[in-house]
Amino acid sequence: MSEKKLAYYPGCPSETTAKEQDISTKAVFDKLGVDWAELEDWNCCGAAEAEDPRLVYALNARNLAIAEKDNRDIVTPCSICYYNLARTDKALRADEKLRAEIKEIDASLDYNGTVTPKHVIDFLVNDIGMDELKSKIVKKVEVKVAPYYGCYIGRPPETAFDDPDDPVSMDRLIELIGGENVQFSYMKTKCCGGPLMMTRADIAFEMARKILESAKNAGADCIALACPLCGMMLDAKQPDIEKALDIKFEMPIVYITQLLGLALGIEPNKLGLNKNVVDTKEIVGKVV
Amino acid sequence: MPIKTWELDPNFRNEIMNEPGGEHLTACFQCSTCTLGCPITEIVPSYNPRKIIQMSLLGMRNEVLSNPDLWICAICQTCTARCPQDVVVGDVLAVIRRIAEKEEEAGNIKIDSPRPLFEKAFLHTVEKYGRLYDIGLAMEYYPKREGSFIKGQKAMMKDYMGFGMRMFFKGKMGPLGGGSPLKGMLPSKIKKKEVMKKIFEKVEGK
Repeated sequence: MSEKKLAYYPGCPSETTAKEQDISTKAVFDKLGVDWAELEDWNCCGAAEAEDPRLVYALNARNLAIAEKDNRDIVTPCSICYYNLARTDKALRADEKLRAEIKEIDASLDYNGTVTPKHVIDFLVNDIGMDELKSKIVKKVEVKVAPYYGCYIGRPPETAFDDPDDPVSMDRLIELIGGENVQFSYMKTKCCGGPLMMTRADIAFEMARKILESAKNAGADCIALACPLCGMMLDAKQPDIEKALDIKFEMPIVYITQLLGLALGIEPNKLGLNKNVVDTKEIVGKVV
Repeated sequence: MPIKTWELDPNFRNEIMNEPGGEHLTACFQCSTCTLGCPITEIVPSYNPRKIIQMSLLGMRNEVLSNPDLWICAICQTCTARCPQDVVVGDVLAVIRRIAEKEEEAGNIKIDSPRPLFEKAFLHTVEKYGRLYDIGLAMEYYPKREGSFIKGQKAMMKDYMGFGMRMFFKGKMGPLGGGSPLKGMLPSKIKKKEVMKKIFEKVEGK
């Protein structure tokens, strides 16, 4: 495990639509004794909507520089935030001229390339480590799970920390807590459609439908995920998708930190399991 | 329709390659791996990133920039991950979209998609507050997309009424969330908002 302390970068949805991801991530950190503090005065990473790399680099240089000043590494639960932080870190480490240009915008964007940005899954599986996690598990979560990774965990290659087509880090966590991974490999990294939700809902709904339907057909009790945009699309918009396409899924969608938290013995409400849109009582009922 | 060679713009490829993300355009050898794995093509069969790249290489600038398909890419980066030539297809498409937006701002083309309005509305909230403000985004985007405030409100209600109620009852937005009664209803602001202003001025002024 890295010796550096952690700056926790929650990302914008943590304050609204993905509150349960934020709550459960922090609860898991505390239970594991992680030395963390929220990144001071963090700003938005630009998400998928900042298409100009220069804008992405400037926005994320500020966040990286704040963590650097505190000598902390950054961990984020959001896959898009992770992608933007990681590609900015890479670009600025490699290109001194770019670093100088960014710094010129404002002194607070002066980043020297000493921070490692990580996704929460990567941090849990590879930094904390499976042995350490195993030693803290006190309950079995006997659920059948469709592990859904979405886009920025296995790709693009420059920032990926898992396989692009058949990632396994989340599968390993699910096995560890006593769950069963259903056959889902062909859907694991398919896009949920989130970025098209506001402009082409018809396409976005169809993309989400495939994921929800595959999980249901595979016999999953729930889908586990690790990105607030996927959460918004598959959970918060699920009733809208059901209505628009005249199908019933009633598929619970949980963040992987919520499942892990249950196995660590944390109370369901302290993992925000009352905040998921599709009811999670059945999932909670399978904790033994 | 046959390509009119005298209307081609041989400089278009350079225009793309001079932008960050577009550098590797000419490495494309048209294998179609990008398109075969694309989740959008699966749903909209006419969507063809390979073709957009080939048209760009040929210099079909107007056809490429006014192609509405540019705006249905979900930026999932599957094409980027699978391209055997490291073209960074996802970023190339983003470069083309940025050029199209500039051309629209200059009054040279018309973009047949609300996506630029959406992205701008999103980024305006980041510029103003330092963080995404969902309600501010929707209040700017829908009226602009629909062409009037009233129509915008109607469209927003249709898309987000149910969603909003769910967020309210789950305590993610509004008084049931604990803490501030207007949590999520009002923007979350960073302290150093002036830095955001500088960033956007610099990047957009280029």
